[in-house]
Amino acid sequence: MDIFADLVMGLSLAITPINLLYLLVGAMVGMIVGVIPGFGPSAGLAILLPVTFGMDPIGAIMMLAAIYYGAMYGGTITSILLNTPGESATVASTFDGFPLAKNGRAGPALVMQAVASFVGGTVGVVLITILAPMFSQVSRSFGPPEYFLLASMGMLTLIVMIGANWKLGCLSALVGFALGTVGVDLETGQGRYTFGSAELIGGIYFIPVAIGLFGLGELFYAFYIGLHRQGAGSIVQFQKEKRFWPDRMDWISTRWTMVRGSILGFVVGVIPGAGATIASLMAYSLERSVSKTPEKFGQGEMAGLVAPETANNAASSGAMIPLLTLGIPGSASTAVLLAAFLLWGLRPGPLFMAQNPELAWGLIASMYLGNMALLAISIFAIPLFVLLLKVPYRLLAPAIVVICALGTFSVHASFIETWLMFAAGIVGFFMRLYGFSPAALVLALVLGPLAEEALRQTMTISRGSFMIFVDRPASLWILALTVVLLGLVPLFQKLSRAAGAAAKAGG
Amino acid sequence: MRIAFLVAVLAGAVFYTYVAFADLGFMTRTGRLGPGFFPRIIGLAMVAIAIWIIADHLRGRDRGAATPGRWSDVASLTGLALGYAVLLWLLGGFLASVVFLLAALSMLNPGRPLQNGALALVLPLAVYLLFDVLLNASMPPGLVPFPI
Amino acid sequence: MRHDTTAKASRLRAAAFAAAFAVSLAGAAPASAQDYPSETLDWTIAFGPGGGNDIMARTIIDILERYDLYPSDIRAENRAGGSGAVGWGHLYAKAGSAYDISTTSGSFVTTPLQADTPWQPADFTPVALLATDDLALVVNGSSEFETIDDLIAAAKERPITIAGTGTVNVDFIVPTLFAEAAGFEFDYVSFNSMADQTTALLSNAVDVMTGNPGEILGMIESGDLRALVYSGVKVPSELEGVPTMADLGYDIGVSMPRGLILAPDAPQEAQEFWIETMKKVVETPEWQAYINTNQLTENIKYGEDFRVFLVNTQNRFESVLREVGAIQ
Repeated sequence: MDIFADLVMGLSLAITPINLLYLLVGAMVGMIVGVIPGFGPSAGLAILLPVTFGMDPIGAIMMLAAIYYGAMYGGTITSILLNTPGESATVASTFDGFPLAKNGRAGPALVMQAVASFVGGTVGVVLITILAPMFSQVSRSFGPPEYFLLASMGMLTLIVMIGANWKLGCLSALVGFALGTVGVDLETGQGRYTFGSAELIGGIYFIPVAIGLFGLGELFYAFYIGLHRQGAGSIVQFQKEKRFWPDRMDWISTRWTMVRGSILGFVVGVIPGAGATIASLMAYSLERSVSKTPEKFGQGEMAGLVAPETANNAASSGAMIPLLTLGIPGSASTAVLLAAFLLWGLRPGPLFMAQNPELAWGLIASMYLGNMALLAISIFAIPLFVLLLKVPYRLLAPAIVVICALGTFSVHASFIETWLMFAAGIVGFFMRLYGFSPAALVLALVLGPLAEEALRQTMTISRGSFMIFVDRPASLWILALTVVLLGLVPLFQKLSRAAGAAAKAGG
Repeated sequence: MRIAFLVAVLAGAVFYTYVAFADLGFMTRTGRLGPGFFPRIIGLAMVAIAIWIIADHLRGRDRGAATPGRWSDVASLTGLALGYAVLLWLLGGFLASVVFLLAALSMLNPGRPLQNGALALVLPLAVYLLFDVLLNASMPPGLVPFPI
Repeated sequence: MRHDTTAKASRLRAAAFAAAFAVSLAGAAPASAQDYPSETLDWTIAFGPGGGNDIMARTIIDILERYDLYPSDIRAENRAGGSGAVGWGHLYAKAGSAYDISTTSGSFVTTPLQADTPWQPADFTPVALLATDDLALVVNGSSEFETIDDLIAAAKERPITIAGTGTVNVDFIVPTLFAEAAGFEFDYVSFNSMADQTTALLSNAVDVMTGNPGEILGMIESGDLRALVYSGVKVPSELEGVPTMADLGYDIGVSMPRGLILAPDAPQEAQEFWIETMKKVVETPEWQAYINTNQLTENIKYGEDFRVFLVNTQNRFESVLREVGAIQ
């Protein structure tokens, strides 16, 4: 088969000592960049791009791509241990990852996230290998109406996040939406809530808000309940920890979660612009809606961590498809990769893979190796991170403040954003204390602008008619899927529960 | 304290809504959804829900679980963090982190100057090496002369 | 050698900050004129690493070093934030300095229109306009519009939709002025990035899009997209056969300035030195390669001509944006 010949050719290019070294360096840097709160893959790539100028393109692209998906592995570690997502794609991983760690299951959570990342990443590459041409068709059927529907589906997660007290949850989400409207209005160019400040033209960046609300907010709360006055132990009660490895239940209960997460993540990742964030949120909602124990989500359910993790890694592989087959970057990170292609004088587009088979297949082949390397690195590194939890909280807490502050600053070299992070930390503490939902706020901040822009673009294009959503095949598909997810899944659950009850009654 | 926070949220919501109505158009002149369309809806909803929550609170319902805690510790950590935020701007990332860590650790971990001093030096140095040397990323520059 | 730091708070820089304060307090201290240049050059990049402005600045710095065009050290510093307001604000505070320099891009014109920046483009000491970002109107390969005339004729019958990136941007200004001249109407659909608008065009959600052809040459080559008209003075070789707007008789003369500026009221020696230096830079093969890979239009104007260009561009922007109500 052609594909295998191509893949073998790619592997032969990837497996040279120097290229393997670049790959390993990229994977390590990606992990580190991912672990530092604030430092997402796109920031890491942009900063390291200049280093690759003098390198051979194949080695360079392998290294850059490894940084990109490596960051997806590392980003979850702080979500689990510190409740601090390093980037938007790992916000969903805090929902159950942090409760897991709090319940004393940090070790299994970290191992499972590495495995989930590996499965998602690898399934993603396999799908790229066999389906790249077919999926390029998917990426070219998405316009504003489809993006609006996708963002709306991502927002279904809000219903989950709003939590027990719906009034406080709604208010949290509304505040997030409100913050999302700050900045220059995309359509009219008019400033909204910018008050003449140049810093606010681009809007409120969600990274400082997320780091502050989740990371610092949690830290203030830990002080409030007096964790720092205890001898050992930390935010996550590690002394309860007995087992480092996941148990059989963890594996068995998440088998199908990994399959669903990988496929959903990949398909969403293929759609330019939707990307890993929406993929991870949708995977989380999907998993909760098919779960037999939805009430355990948010309390430390392994499937609630595995679903977004497989999805965001599969999505980061999927995002390579529009990049390689159309030359369209699907995310901030792939935009940096596109910039790298252009700098090397390459011309990304539909003919790219045919014109540069070595580069394209070398990259794809390297992703198999890179994911394996990252799994190994993660498993070796996890004990080190777990060790960190044995540091008394009174010593760890100030260090977390320093890393959150410097990490936030490094993203845009902005003092305003660093101060915003501190302010969000204080607000996050009060939200936490009084039963608000910081997660709903951050999600609304991420998804609100996406949905608003897409809806207004759609309305301009259709001149105010909502028929556009059913006129376009792709959006009709998404609508149908949404109806299935919203309507049929709960129905099935009810039926199977009824059947189970009947069986019990009969037996 | 809870009521103060809720009133602050309400005040913010009222201000947000006021700007949405005063400065931002509901529709554009070509009849499309204007820049103020969503802000007005979001603003009104925020004000309504905030008032509802405050009313619940005043009627003594739904006051939330009042976990007792150490306000004084939170206050001193807040003070330290805000001081750190200002120091970052004045002294730059490295020096400000050393000062902050020394201050925070002497409060949290009293009586162990050696351990505290070592940690306060090692962590900023490690971050500096990682950011500035390895990743070529930005550390906050200071206004006051200092070589790192 | 170059200290390629992003934000190392070196003694020198701290001294420069102190100097900035001194300047704003006591007025500009005259730089010693005779032996310019003799000090470290402080190069402000008003955007983060990896962006268009950053790549241009670092390309020029590489050329300056490779050909030994600047005898002292050059320290490049990314002072990102507020769409350029932070970096150029920093340069503005260095009024009178001969050793503070920066590169401009589109935001240099648009940011002061959107925010209350203390500075305006014309405040700085102009060195040279080097190139401009120009745009093509592009349609889907399967579109009914084969030529720009088809498009204009159809658009006169029914308004079309044109996608672009942002509103306070050439992407909006150029088609607006073009449509005014050619006598048709359109609905502008604003997107966040070139990638978003290209996807929208490929999915047939919009009729036309506008943008720098650099990123989409691959799709033009494969026939998935078709360029109909180009706004620059000269069509890049990859788009051969595509008419320019001027060819059609609709010269609109607006484009994004990529140039070099010194701090306001910089000494004349410094301005002259940099004009002479840039004359050498634009002759190098490295610079030509940069122009080609980024699909820029070479458009060179030195000194005061650059200032005039900036003022004209900004005025045209302002009048169009005021007309549509984007700015008050």
